[in-house]
Amino acid sequence: MAAREKLNDLLMDVFLLDDGELGDELRRADLDTWDSLGTVSLAVGVEEVFGYHMTPEEATGLESVGGLVALLRTKGIEIE
Amino acid sequence: MVALPLSYSFAFVNQWVWATVHERKLIPTEGFRDPAALRQALVDARDAMLCLVGVQGPLLAAAFEGEVFNGVIRLHFAGGRFPQEQLPTLRQLFPRASITNNYGCAEAMPRLTVRSAEANELSANVGRPLPGIELSADDTQLLRFRSVYGAVAVFEGGRLREIGTEDWVPTGDLAEQEDDGTWRLLGRTGEVFKRHGEKVSTAQMLETVGQTWTAEAATYPDEDRSGEPGYVLVLAPAPDQVGVRTLLRVIRSRHARAQWPLRIEGRETLPRLANGKVDAAALSAEEGPVLWDQRT
Repeated sequence: MAAREKLNDLLMDVFLLDDGELGDELRRADLDTWDSLGTVSLAVGVEEVFGYHMTPEEATGLESVGGLVALLRTKGIEIE
Repeated sequence: MVALPLSYSFAFVNQWVWATVHERKLIPTEGFRDPAALRQALVDARDAMLCLVGVQGPLLAAAFEGEVFNGVIRLHFAGGRFPQEQLPTLRQLFPRASITNNYGCAEAMPRLTVRSAEANELSANVGRPLPGIELSADDTQLLRFRSVYGAVAVFEGGRLREIGTEDWVPTGDLAEQEDDGTWRLLGRTGEVFKRHGEKVSTAQMLETVGQTWTAEAATYPDEDRSGEPGYVLVLAPAPDQVGVRTLLRVIRSRHARAQWPLRIEGRETLPRLANGKVDAAALSAEEGPVLWDQRT
């Protein structure tokens, strides 16, 4: 499975999103399910799926899906 | 040896009283342990009353799907969660019956409240107190009752104590009174807790689940990775991924994340005690596929 597909599956699973809601432009502020628990859930999921353990600062500092994609790229995980 | 008040067998008592008052036969059956005999009893029934506990609603629907029992004119549910979502099926099975949600507790005889099935869409709504019954809830929402009938007795330090007409008796349930005077159960005292500062009621979650999931559902307590209390939602039979997604969408629309289940697990069937209630200990001990994990 491609990394983008894995990421989309993870986001749908963590934030209970529908297909139409997915996209790099999706912002934390616009998503009711991206709260503090959602941040924990996302961090655990990223480690499960991509093997990268986010620091608390990285996890709480994310503002959008695009930000997560950019962070993962800096760690050598290419999301096409 | 443990002596239990007769009201622990309320479904039996209710049918026995009804049969006595209306001079009818009391037809004992082995219930779902012998579905064929139960079916025959229902076929033979004439102007009969049937009193069940909530979990038997889905069992009835599954065992006798498509059948019609015109001889039952009263269908009472007097224990556990009222199977509101099974109402269309129950209506097909028992087209002549009035269906009611009768709420009470072990110390309450006859019952505390009653409402017709159609009077409210929430299974947790138990209606208004019966004549002679007062209900109240304190700041912690612990529901108590007082009854002009007095009551049987309760164990207190291993001894029996008579309950007087002035005594307030805790029901063991948490509840809120609605604006229209009816009462809505929030769950047993152990089923309402705080998780990350948010009040969680597993009874309310089962209410939400029941809006889209008409098969069996139950919860058992667990902790998340940080040691916070939570619960696991168990569905039987296990739905497919589309079914899980549909359910999660409904949960998302109605509940804050802290109120979501830690996991959703599937089972072929829910383990049950002899009285038809879910066997909570067996439920948590059994293993089943994890259909969704909140990862918290």
